[in-house]
Amino acid sequence: MSKTWLVEAVGISLACLLSWRVSSPRLRQVLFLISSYLFYAGVARWFVGVLVASTLMNYGWGSLLRRRPTAGLLWGGVLVNLLLLGGFKYVPGISASWAQMSPFAALTRIAVPVGISFWTFEALSYLFDVYRDQEIDPSLLEFSLYMAFGPTVLSGPICRLPDMLPQFREARPLEWEDLRHGLQRIWLGIFMMMVARTLGSGLQPGQGVDAGFESTRLGGIDVWLLAIGYGFQLFFDFAGYSHIAIGVARLFGFRLPENFNLPYLSTSPSEFWTRWHMSLSFWIRDYVFLPLATARREVWWRNLSLLISMVIFGLWHKATLVFVIWGAYHGVLLVLHRVWQQTQRRFGFDSTGWFFTPMAWLVTFLAICFGWIFFRAPNSEKAFAMSRAALSPTSYHPPSFALDYYLVVGATLAGYFLVSALRARLGAEDESIFAWIPVELRSGCYAAMLYVLIFLYFVAFQTTQPHAFIYFQF
Amino acid sequence: MPETTEQMIEYIVEEIVRRPGVKVDEDTPLVSSGLIDSLALVDILLKLEDVTGTHIPAGKVQPKDMDTVRLMFSTAARVGKPRKK
Repeated sequence: MSKTWLVEAVGISLACLLSWRVSSPRLRQVLFLISSYLFYAGVARWFVGVLVASTLMNYGWGSLLRRRPTAGLLWGGVLVNLLLLGGFKYVPGISASWAQMSPFAALTRIAVPVGISFWTFEALSYLFDVYRDQEIDPSLLEFSLYMAFGPTVLSGPICRLPDMLPQFREARPLEWEDLRHGLQRIWLGIFMMMVARTLGSGLQPGQGVDAGFESTRLGGIDVWLLAIGYGFQLFFDFAGYSHIAIGVARLFGFRLPENFNLPYLSTSPSEFWTRWHMSLSFWIRDYVFLPLATARREVWWRNLSLLISMVIFGLWHKATLVFVIWGAYHGVLLVLHRVWQQTQRRFGFDSTGWFFTPMAWLVTFLAICFGWIFFRAPNSEKAFAMSRAALSPTSYHPPSFALDYYLVVGATLAGYFLVSALRARLGAEDESIFAWIPVELRSGCYAAMLYVLIFLYFVAFQTTQPHAFIYFQF
Repeated sequence: MPETTEQMIEYIVEEIVRRPGVKVDEDTPLVSSGLIDSLALVDILLKLEDVTGTHIPAGKVQPKDMDTVRLMFSTAARVGKPRKK
């Protein structure tokens, strides 16, 4: 594993150095496409063929749609993409339910091309944008690069072609700022993923969120700790990964959409979804919710559209009951928030100020964390049992985890909220809150910490149990 | 400022934003600034249909096309179709 990552790191560095020397946009595109395919083939092996097939199919479909922008042709393209996605991602899971019946047994062995949910949604947004008369006319080379773009092909952020195309065509020289910003984001991402790893595995074997969710005797306090701990594990893991993806792209001069923006400072479920996994959340808003919600004028239809959109959000992750429940739960939260907003308007009630704003934050935070039980639980029985424990006062017996695990979660929360509050107050980017430190000292510290983290991650931690990036499974 | 633009701004300020001290003009960013959420965007889109007397197919509209009042009207002019009586 470490050897593969080392090869990839060297490959990225070489591609970076080469791209800096190449001024022709077309030549840079060729270089990036070859390195992106090599990178993807290194991780996903022969599935690179699926990616190429999907690219060719969508490019052809997009060209057809540009000439004849009909709804039928659009939905045909959407259907083909969903069949491809469903065939690889959902058929094995669904077949597992009927695995005892021989025709379905073979289907359970279908492997999933890593990142298929991400690049299929990128392809779909291209078809929708062409249908919407967006002025995008990529060459096959540019579209292939958009689909296979190395920094995003495995787990996003989900990009849009209108944002990427001008960057692919730009012939601007790389600047020192790109390198500095890119390395800072990568460093921050690795650090955050290490925090996620610590939360997941705990400081000692058999502890941490991962082991906690396997435990059979959980009291109310344990469940809340696990839900909050997992919420932060998922955040640090995925936001950390997104920082790395954005940072690597920046090394080549590309700017990717942000994926997270202080999500746990949200004071409403609606606000949370503008701050968490933003590239997917905005995708669902733009291509599912808005067209659906404006199809009819009744309020009940708008609420139903919210619910449907959030169930699709859940299903995007996996076609299992827990993800359907998780999506529906968030749909209900959004509808309740909408009803609350309308009630406030009707009675002229102001819910801001020193008391109501912290209360709104607390309620939102606990509601979001409660939802993570369904996101993480291995099955719906376990999720419901944990929910009952969290909501039943009689289950609040003394916590069963070791004290140091509570300290890990507590320290993570304290660190997160301290940095988030600083960022929110200064309105600054991650690194700017440390702007008062002289740049030479900052760079030296960043470099030293990066080397220590890389050493820990790729060498020291390889001797303990492996840690997989959570969103690779989606 | 055209009457329809004033009507739209008044609706956004009084029915959607409803925050004291917040001023909205033709070029105030609404979606990108977080001033309005997805549900409010639906309300605004339907109001825009009423104000312009058109049907605006949501499948042809992106939130960035609705970011300011000026953009809303140019979007309505671009993709809006006369309503059937």
